[in-house]
Amino acid sequence: MIAEHEVRNLLRTGGYIADESIATAVFLALRMEKPILIEGPPGVGKTGLAKTLSEVMDFPLVRLQCYEGIDEGKALYDWEYGKQLLYTQLLRTQLDSYLSESADLRAAVERLSAEESLFFSQNFLVQRPILRSFLSEKRSLLLIDEIDRSGDEFEALLLECLSDFQVSIPELGVIEARTRPLVILTSNGTRMISDALRRRCLFLYIGYPEFEREVAIVCARYPELCDTLAHQMVDFLRKVRELNLRKSPSISETLDWAQVLTILHATRLTPEVVANTVGTIAKHQADMKQVSELATRELRVA
Amino acid sequence: MERIITRFVKALRERGIRVSPGESIDAVHALALGGVEGRASVRALLRLTLVKNVNDIPAFEEVFDSFFSGREHFPPGLDQADFLGALIHIVEGEQLKSDLHKHHKEEGPTLLVDEEVTAEDLENLLGMEESDEESEGADIMVQLDGHRGKMEAPAPSDYYMKSPPTVAFHQGMNKSKVEPFTPEELADMQEVVGRMLVRIRKDVQRMKEEESRGRLHVIRTIQKNYRHGMVPFLLSLRRKRKEKPRLVVFCDVSYSVSHATRFMLLLLHTLQSRVMDVRSFVFNRELAEITDMLRNMPVNCLIETIDKGEIVNLDDNSDFGNVFRTFKEKHLESMRGKPAIIIMGDARNNYNEANEWALEEIREKAGYMLWLTPEERDTWQRGDCLMELYGTYCDRVEVVRNVDELSRVVEDLFLTILDLHDTRVWKRRPRKPEGEEPYDYRTYYTKGSGATPAFDPNVRRQW
Repeated sequence: MIAEHEVRNLLRTGGYIADESIATAVFLALRMEKPILIEGPPGVGKTGLAKTLSEVMDFPLVRLQCYEGIDEGKALYDWEYGKQLLYTQLLRTQLDSYLSESADLRAAVERLSAEESLFFSQNFLVQRPILRSFLSEKRSLLLIDEIDRSGDEFEALLLECLSDFQVSIPELGVIEARTRPLVILTSNGTRMISDALRRRCLFLYIGYPEFEREVAIVCARYPELCDTLAHQMVDFLRKVRELNLRKSPSISETLDWAQVLTILHATRLTPEVVANTVGTIAKHQADMKQVSELATRELRVA
Repeated sequence: MERIITRFVKALRERGIRVSPGESIDAVHALALGGVEGRASVRALLRLTLVKNVNDIPAFEEVFDSFFSGREHFPPGLDQADFLGALIHIVEGEQLKSDLHKHHKEEGPTLLVDEEVTAEDLENLLGMEESDEESEGADIMVQLDGHRGKMEAPAPSDYYMKSPPTVAFHQGMNKSKVEPFTPEELADMQEVVGRMLVRIRKDVQRMKEEESRGRLHVIRTIQKNYRHGMVPFLLSLRRKRKEKPRLVVFCDVSYSVSHATRFMLLLLHTLQSRVMDVRSFVFNRELAEITDMLRNMPVNCLIETIDKGEIVNLDDNSDFGNVFRTFKEKHLESMRGKPAIIIMGDARNNYNEANEWALEEIREKAGYMLWLTPEERDTWQRGDCLMELYGTYCDRVEVVRNVDELSRVVEDLFLTILDLHDTRVWKRRPRKPEGEEPYDYRTYYTKGSGATPAFDPNVRRQW
């Protein structure tokens, strides 16, 4: 089994710069086989962590995007009614001959019900993401994305899956996970997740990164960007975050911006550069104005 | 190790962080796994396993720092300077008391004619008694903590603030700007609203279910399934009700009730989109509709705009009569359905015309009328307060003093609205015929206990 600092190095090879708590969380989740619940503002790399992990650990990624009204038919399993119907149609002749041997109707029904399990078997079961990841041969990574979009009922549905790694199907009984997947749940905090679910998870909060880490992230992704510019833009973005914006730029915006600046071959930040590229960091009209103003104020002097 | 974790968890619980036994077992288990080295890692590990809420993280950091700092004889979360201060307080208790007394005499309300002891004085006295008792140092500290802030200069009584001379002298001072919500306040309120929404969710669900039920609308179903060769794959039903419950809210934004107003605005903001159709107005002397602004603006900005006096002039005195007349003239026609009306204000009309006839006309168009006032009942007859007069036109008058009470009242109202979202029920409601003797509002207010007026309980339960 790997240790905590190895986790961090592993993530770094995947281009994900983790801090202490992220590395510890992944390490614990791997060792304790507990799900991680990640909360934080949009764009700080919650889903990115899961993707990188699946890449570097070589776990196949099974993703379940939550939305309002998601239910077990979409998340756990479903019966393939069409296939069931088709089979009964095709097997009609066999069934006829099979049932014709019985003396009366009662006997025929008994005979048929003895074979009932044939029609409620794994054959006709559609595996939805959670069951699929439980039954996969290789250890997989189950990403339950934006859990806060789903309803309370769905949360309750997850409780059994996440604490015991099993799925109860009334017709088949309890199906245990073949391999316990690494489970990552993400939430933007638009709705409070119930305490029952929190209790079953390791709780990880990812906020905006510290200066050093953000620079490291930019440099890791866009090594061609010159070092001073990376420092300058991260410094500027930190000031932007202090403004009272409707949508503060997070890491994903930082990376977008870095990409744009690389394409433009910019060497240093000027108010003009910011004005031209403001659309990548500010996502509202009012925000754009504020950011441009900040740029003229802060960067003119330099 | 288990013992250390147990003690640490205890310290966390003392700070108000909820840690379940299962979580502390997790923590011990996680530590036993090994592979974690260094203070930062252990901190991350404990935080991951023990803390399950973002808001608890700062408290955790604090407890962690003080608990594992070696200075364990100090209880966690206590600053040394604070501790010293508290000790000084204990030693100099006597002096403190006399100081306080002097202080009080200087700053007491000079306009009060009688030298009677006010409620605040009694409370202060009570506080001094308590700290005098023979108790252990820590106990006294706790007591002092409890009374810090309360022992400051006595706040002038409500009556003093409202009495005409004070109002006249303080005309300029009352305008001091109330800061917009702090993020914590906002979060708190969001939480109250959130909890409320969870509780009423079931009812909303039921409402929605009822909406999607109904008899088959044959013609529309056939039209809808034309492309399927008239095989009715898609059904169209005669819905029982297509609209969300309607609500019209008036908020007094003058200084005296602005706190309650703020909460109300936030509440409306949240409810607006989700479950009901709200039209909101703010008023002081003039009336202004803010429905669209509520929809398009963050609450904080809106409150700032209101505080700047850009929507209604805050320097005027509130004039309820004028407001009701304006509403009657400008908006009553455009009020659709039979909305429930909530009025928030202290009904202090500053000796302007009452115009209760306008209120009566508004009442006729409304399904329900609720008045929320921050003032206690015994001040309703004093000064320029017209609560008694306006109260007669309302279905219910509630005294709300804080956020909790307000949220309870609104939830109550909301449930009744949901129950009766079907306007047909309103028609079936046993209404009193016009000619009947007007009920005596004095007994209405004195009978029963506020929330459930004594006459005809059946009608009241419905509305």
